[in-house]
Amino acid sequence: MLLRLASALLLSAFSLSSLAEDDAWLVLQKTAHAARELNYQGVFVYQNGKQTRSVQITHMNNNGQEMARNVVLDNGVQAGQQREVYSQGNNVVIVRPKHQKVVIEKRRGQNLFPAMLPTDLIAIKASYTAHFGALEQVAGRAAQVLDLVPNDAFRYSYRIWSDTEFGLLLKMTLIDNKNQALEQIGFTQISMLNSQDANWFQPKIDVTKSYEMEDKTAVSPVNSSRVYANWMVNDLPAGYTKVDHRALLVPGKAVPVDQMIFSDGIASVSLFIEPMTKGMRPKMGHMLIGSTNICANVMDGYQITVVGEVPEITVMQIAKAITFKKQTASK
Amino acid sequence: MKDQLSALIDGEFDIEHAEHLVTSVKSGGELKTCWAHYHLIGDAMRGGMQMSQDFSIRVMNALESEPTVLAPNSQVVTQILTKKSIYKTAKLWSVAASAAAVMFVSVMVSQFNQAEELTPVAIAQSLPTEYLQAHQAAAPNGVVYYIQTADVTEPRQ
Repeated sequence: MLLRLASALLLSAFSLSSLAEDDAWLVLQKTAHAARELNYQGVFVYQNGKQTRSVQITHMNNNGQEMARNVVLDNGVQAGQQREVYSQGNNVVIVRPKHQKVVIEKRRGQNLFPAMLPTDLIAIKASYTAHFGALEQVAGRAAQVLDLVPNDAFRYSYRIWSDTEFGLLLKMTLIDNKNQALEQIGFTQISMLNSQDANWFQPKIDVTKSYEMEDKTAVSPVNSSRVYANWMVNDLPAGYTKVDHRALLVPGKAVPVDQMIFSDGIASVSLFIEPMTKGMRPKMGHMLIGSTNICANVMDGYQITVVGEVPEITVMQIAKAITFKKQTASK
Repeated sequence: MKDQLSALIDGEFDIEHAEHLVTSVKSGGELKTCWAHYHLIGDAMRGGMQMSQDFSIRVMNALESEPTVLAPNSQVVTQILTKKSIYKTAKLWSVAASAAAVMFVSVMVSQFNQAEELTPVAIAQSLPTEYLQAHQAAAPNGVVYYIQTADVTEPRQ
């Protein structure tokens, strides 16, 4: 009888905790959607290593069409020369003054702050456990703390502050396995917008400057059929899958570079493969910059570089997982 | 003298005390032929021939502390000019001096280039900023558009 009672208690305790975890995922799901569906304006601060930036954001969802403007407030440029980032859906346009010109760049972007969580949490659920934390205050708003704790050593932890009323992600911190914050991004000021007026969605034009598309010196993707087919990655760290593979033209390099991107749903890693050419000095070793781990190696005449906001062990394992097929003479 | 010249080319002779060798080579004759031969051998062995590690360092030091040894426009030339009365071929001398300088520098440069191809560099010493940028542009974690790219693509003026 006593035993049965004890096991019943144990069972209910267990189901309670799993219920709590389910609830945490539900809050995270709401948080992922809120950033994309709500209309808001605010200022957030990003910190990574020694870098700090303040950004003003205006976000609006106009009948399912997302529009956002981000103005970098303090990146060292003169007044009136702020870098502005406009996004509509996944298309990102960056407008930035450069010397006497203004350069317009087209990019892609999916999980721009505060929409840092993907709406599909399946991949994240496989590699992380969600826990409720305390109730705290961020930018004057009441926030529920949620922790995404990794199930293994191949990723960092994420601490998320979710607005208790609107579900908006107010703050996120990337934490390593020594419990050190590596990167932090969060609102210092936030308010909801009631108006549907979208006049803000246009860059301030400086008539004294010439505008040009895309900086020619920047890295640009080329026809994806040109990727090298003579290598493969055999043993990815658990939870990571390939999300993209493309060829890049890098200024100063005669041949395109392969880039493969892996993600576990929230963290991402890029792998670069480049044939060694005459006079090229091989790069080796490992380095940590802010939250970004970089490791380089040379294998079978190729320079391999792995870059990601993930632990060192993850970039190392990906670098080791590459094998090259033997080149046949007829090819 | 030949041994000293050989030692000089091999980086085993102190360049600061080699002025007499350079002078002899420039004056032609046996030592000049030797100089040419040593270099021919050196060329033939290119890739296999390794000068001692500190050769280029010593050349650089000599260049810094005594630029006149290798630079035809300063002290060597001045010395040559003052000796004009003794050597009538002063003009030729300075040409030879520049040739010698070019030789030294080209040997040095080829050594440097070779070293670059052979020795890997630590990634921390030579950060692949283009890849950092490409990673952040293709796999954004939501913040890169405000941060890294600004610093990577446009170093502050």
